[in-house]
Amino acid sequence: MGKIKKKGESGAATNYISRNMAIKKLQISLAQFRRLCIIKGIYPREPRNKKKVNKGSTAPKTFYYKKDIQFLLHEPVLHKLREIRSHQRKINRAIGKKEWAVAKLLESQRPEYRLDHIIKERYPSFNLAVRDLDDALSMLALFATLPMHSGVIKPSTIKNCARLVTEFQHYVMIAGRLKKVFVSIKGIYYQADIGGSDVTWIVPHPFSQDTPRDVDFRIMATFLDLYETLVGFTNYKLYTDLNLVYPPKMKNETLDSGLAGFVVETVEGKGFLDGIKESETSDATSAPNRKARKEVEKRVKNLASTIGKFSDANAEQEEMDEDADEEDEDKDIPSAIVEPTDASEMVPSLKDAAKISTTRTASNSHKLFHSCVFFLSREVPRNSLEFVIKSFGGKVGWPETSGAGAAVAESDPTITHQIVDRSMAPGETRHDTRDYVQPQWIYDCINAGKLVKTKGYHIGENLPAHLSPFGGGKEGYVPSEAALSAIAASKGVTEESDEEDAEKDAVEANVMEADAEEEEEEDDVEDDDEEEDENKGPLDSDDEEQVYQAELEAEAAGLSFTEYMQKKDAEEKGLSKKKSTDTAGKKRKISAAEAEAAEEKELAKMLMNKKERRLYGQIEFGRKKKEEEAKKLLDRRVAHQKTEAKKAKETKNAEVATPAKAPAAAAKSPAAVKSPAAAKSPAVTKTPAVAKSPAAATPKAAKSVKSTPSKSAAVTPGSSKKARKA
Amino acid sequence: MKRREPTKRTADKAEKEKEKEVFAEISLDQNGTDSADEDDIVDADGNLIFGPFETVDGEEGEEELPEIIPDYASDDSDEETNNTIGNVPLEWYAELDHIGYDINGKKIPKPKGASKDALDEFLDSMDDPNAWRSVLNKLEGENVVLSDTDLDIIKRIQSKMIPEKDYNPYEPTVEWFSSQTETQPLSAAPEPKRRFIPSKTEGARIMKIVRAIRKGWKKTTEELKEEKEKALPKFYDIWAHSDPDAKDKHMHIPAPRMSLPDHRESYNPPIEYIPTEEEVEEWKALDPEDRPQNFIPKKHPNLRSVGAYERFVQERFDRCLDLYLCPRMIKNRINIDPESLIPQLPSRKELEPYPTALSVVYEGHEKRIRCFSVDPTGKWLVSGSDDCTVRVWEVLTGRMVKSWKFEEPVQDVKWNPNSEFSILAIAVENDVFLVNPGVSSKEVDEVTDEVFANIWGKESPSKIDWKKPSAAASALGHRVILNFSKNVTTVVWHRKGDYFSTVCPDAGGAAVSIHQISKRQTQNPFKKSYGLVQKVQFHPKKPWLFVATQRYIRVYNLIQQDLIHKLHPGVKWISSMDVHPQGDNVLIGSYDKRLCWFDMDLSSKPYKTLRYHKSAIRNSTFHRTLPLFASCSDDGTLNVFHGMVYDSLDQNPLIVPLKSFKAHEVVDSLGVLHCEFHPIQPWVFSCGSDNGAFVLKLFA
Repeated sequence: MGKIKKKGESGAATNYISRNMAIKKLQISLAQFRRLCIIKGIYPREPRNKKKVNKGSTAPKTFYYKKDIQFLLHEPVLHKLREIRSHQRKINRAIGKKEWAVAKLLESQRPEYRLDHIIKERYPSFNLAVRDLDDALSMLALFATLPMHSGVIKPSTIKNCARLVTEFQHYVMIAGRLKKVFVSIKGIYYQADIGGSDVTWIVPHPFSQDTPRDVDFRIMATFLDLYETLVGFTNYKLYTDLNLVYPPKMKNETLDSGLAGFVVETVEGKGFLDGIKESETSDATSAPNRKARKEVEKRVKNLASTIGKFSDANAEQEEMDEDADEEDEDKDIPSAIVEPTDASEMVPSLKDAAKISTTRTASNSHKLFHSCVFFLSREVPRNSLEFVIKSFGGKVGWPETSGAGAAVAESDPTITHQIVDRSMAPGETRHDTRDYVQPQWIYDCINAGKLVKTKGYHIGENLPAHLSPFGGGKEGYVPSEAALSAIAASKGVTEESDEEDAEKDAVEANVMEADAEEEEEEDDVEDDDEEEDENKGPLDSDDEEQVYQAELEAEAAGLSFTEYMQKKDAEEKGLSKKKSTDTAGKKRKISAAEAEAAEEKELAKMLMNKKERRLYGQIEFGRKKKEEEAKKLLDRRVAHQKTEAKKAKETKNAEVATPAKAPAAAAKSPAAVKSPAAAKSPAVTKTPAVAKSPAAATPKAAKSVKSTPSKSAAVTPGSSKKARKA
Repeated sequence: MKRREPTKRTADKAEKEKEKEVFAEISLDQNGTDSADEDDIVDADGNLIFGPFETVDGEEGEEELPEIIPDYASDDSDEETNNTIGNVPLEWYAELDHIGYDINGKKIPKPKGASKDALDEFLDSMDDPNAWRSVLNKLEGENVVLSDTDLDIIKRIQSKMIPEKDYNPYEPTVEWFSSQTETQPLSAAPEPKRRFIPSKTEGARIMKIVRAIRKGWKKTTEELKEEKEKALPKFYDIWAHSDPDAKDKHMHIPAPRMSLPDHRESYNPPIEYIPTEEEVEEWKALDPEDRPQNFIPKKHPNLRSVGAYERFVQERFDRCLDLYLCPRMIKNRINIDPESLIPQLPSRKELEPYPTALSVVYEGHEKRIRCFSVDPTGKWLVSGSDDCTVRVWEVLTGRMVKSWKFEEPVQDVKWNPNSEFSILAIAVENDVFLVNPGVSSKEVDEVTDEVFANIWGKESPSKIDWKKPSAAASALGHRVILNFSKNVTTVVWHRKGDYFSTVCPDAGGAAVSIHQISKRQTQNPFKKSYGLVQKVQFHPKKPWLFVATQRYIRVYNLIQQDLIHKLHPGVKWISSMDVHPQGDNVLIGSYDKRLCWFDMDLSSKPYKTLRYHKSAIRNSTFHRTLPLFASCSDDGTLNVFHGMVYDSLDQNPLIVPLKSFKAHEVVDSLGVLHCEFHPIQPWVFSCGSDNGAFVLKLFA
């Protein structure tokens, strides 16, 4: 027999160390331990078996890895912390003795610790450092907005934070790394692609932050210490990889000028950014490289022209792109500004938009605003918009009052868009050559990857919903706007003129989806009865179910029922609708078999053991909860659309009453065609359905008596539902 | 040197003069010997050592007190004595005739009477009037008589007063150094010139430093800092020589990223995400940790109207806390298809025939039907009810054929499984009636009656009385009446139809009794009971008896009179039991909703325990010929299973659920009370209530 093992002397018990033990071992105070942990990135672990580690007790206790703590014993920062402590005592003594000169001298000689070795140790490769940039940037962005003289944080630290964030943003801007932007109620989220991994950070809205009492700023300051170092080193790496000088110079010492206040230079000493030119450097190549590449491209183009003309649209686009580039180099004037069309319907350079949406790659996606010149009015978030617009190759100006460094003045005729957030004051001049849009347009364009129509974004208009580019919630619900953009993306931008129709279709599809879901539920419970219905064609208008469904669709679309049916017949080839009706027909046929399968499944569940049954129950519970959430949202949406449609109908009715306006309204949309007779028609079509439903219900009831009791019980809710519908 | 203040007590000068003279005369070496009344201790210089002494006697008061010299003299620890032995134990000199040595090294003789015994000492003390105030000075070996002053000091010390009688602790302070600053200089000398011209030496020293700095020998603090920074700049390419594919430290768990915002968080979300007022209230009522999201979605008409988010700092802080305080652990997320958890079973279609639908309803009983049984030919169904009747039904038509009325509710009714006879065993209260229902063919009836006619002639050794019914009862078909002492709950037939067993759970050792019709005898095979017997069952092939108590099932060999098996179903209360027709498998239903399938070859633990009923299982039964079994429960359902038993030992029985009938309504939390299969067809019967009436149902 082997030696009897003693408890707690091997295995998990020796791998972990409790916090108090760690503090005793390191002989430091809790505050210093905390500081060390934050800096070194040491965190408590949850042991897999708490009892084994905690001497048989399950009391809550914090455990660290013993190795982590042992490494701390040799940490230079720990020694420095001790030095600082003893030095502080000396200073205190001097102050106590009122030896001010000595205290001052000592103060100047206070030992400092550096964190570079820790950065190197925690992030052995640059990619790992990028992984942790999320928190670092968000933290720095927050501290950059804290009040300078609140006494909570040193003004120099705040300045440094602002500088580091701006430097990073500058890099993102130059390298064209920005991917997504999202304006939330908390702040503005940016997502950039740094070295292949996404970095998402949030910048608070530009207001003074409330500093709550229950926040321990000492902890935050320790984190800040680390993050400042991390972001500094990361910035250095990013800048030097682009062959740029780090740190970039600042034009003036105040940071108010934001991005415009920086002078970025290449190592050769050439100014990198001069107004719009920054947009030309599409990818991470230095200036000389760019020139060489252009020459090569030119040669290739010549070669292509000698061989023959490409009919390929892509080639043309490329050419145009190239032309635009050249033009820019020559004149610094974007191409699309030359011919501004009607202000309300103007969509600047749809060619560009098409090009971008079809061939969206990392290299040219940030040329989105290449052909636009923006002017930011007062009351728009200047820093954010400047960053975003410049990242996507736009040229941007702002009034003197918002800060220096504007690229264009307000009176500049080249301006294509003016970003406004308040309707114009009566004295202001309105330029016909510009589109006056709200700031959301910029963000939506970026997330859509193309220049979206400015309709709906003008001042005074009800803005479309601003959706998160990071996806919806966990319930899996997709709002119709997102579905719409997905459809548009799949269709491509070739059908620009039909965009509105597509929109309507999408909404309809959404509503129909909801109906289909309802249908499905009913189908699940009905089984044999469906066989009867099978005989009828799937598009048989007598079928009360379908009539109801069609009515619902019509209602949601804001049309009368007959109108809707006509439209439906006419547009039978409509993609989404056809699909849904087809599936509905199929469903009817397979429902009996499905019911059989469902019953078999229910029976098979009897044989599950307890563990499996619980797990299954949990999964099902989660799924159902999600579904319920999604359904709730969808229902709310449908209800909202119905009320909206009703409202629209009422207003249109009022318009029809005034005959002069009627034709104009009718021309606008088919939905507007509305007469009192048409309004009555749904009621007429409804009546047969009402008459039929009891008749339809009776045989079912009769049959249920014969069929198994389980079936009869299951049928009851379905039939009652039908009765309700009728 | 501090001067003693002149005391207020100033006596006449003449007396003082006299005192001075006295002091001058006194010497210390005489102190102990010649002047016992002298109370002042004076040092060699004639200075008074103890101040207070002079104040003891009023006549010794003086105007100018001698000054105290703060030297060794003021310390009484080295008060001079003649004896120079030092601080050694005095008993060293106890045997000698001297007590020590003087300063010249000469012996100091022991004084007379130093070695007095106690009696002498006592006598001396009685003689000496000063004995009460004398103390032995051991070093000198003689008595010292304390003076009045000494006594007074001792008294004052005892009463915690200042020893010196005339000491005034509240004397007015004397400012030795004035607190007032003088405005005028003490000296009228003019300021010297050197105070107005720069120091040359200092200048020289400064110039030395300046020169050193100029020549670069010495660095200013700024320069030092710059140099330091140059040596190691604030930021540099820290990853210059690093491996781009370097991994994290071993066992490092990176912190999970903050979740990305969804549509809800937008400043202008789609309308469906805006919560209603009730939802906002609900959200507010929740604990902050339980909230699905930490903000209320709100729609802003334009970007201008979006305000600062007041919890921003707090959220960042919480994130910081999470990063360094939260214990981290890698959790594997279960990514499992829920459908894969459901067992894969053969299709029901392959397992036909089995009952699928309700076909016949037997109506007529007025109260709850407790029991029923199907005749071995499958033509007849007999049922017993709480309305004290037993009725025979035609299975196919649902027509009631016969009915008997009893005085008490019918507990159990069983049809003899041997088709050669036609006998019904009916348990009513304490009696068991054997009845010939007279619904079978004539031959069978005759054979049955003949059997019963023969039994009365024989000698019966049994304890229980086999009574012959009255003529009127015989006409109704009653053949034998067995009377028990306790309530009979169950009657079970042996397959051959000659034996049957009854259970009276309350009868203790006689709970189980086995009766043989042909010999008209009754046996109680067990002397004592192991608990409340719930059910008994005969083995279909062997002479075994299964006895189910509340928790266990015991299997006895009736011939060897031996316990063969004890089955442990692990349930709380067994309600029913059935043995598979092949005899190796047992089915158990329990009041705690479990159904256990035992494979007796395999183990004494259940092969499978199923828990699908929502309330107590009332009965579970096998089909006699087909691989079917069924269970019924108080939740009103009747479940039919395919239960195939294979001959080969290496194949486990196959259990497949086939059908779940919502057979009866639940009334007073009682659902389906009994179920039984048809002996030949794949049909199953159940009893319970339906639409308020108490009926039997046939599912075919």
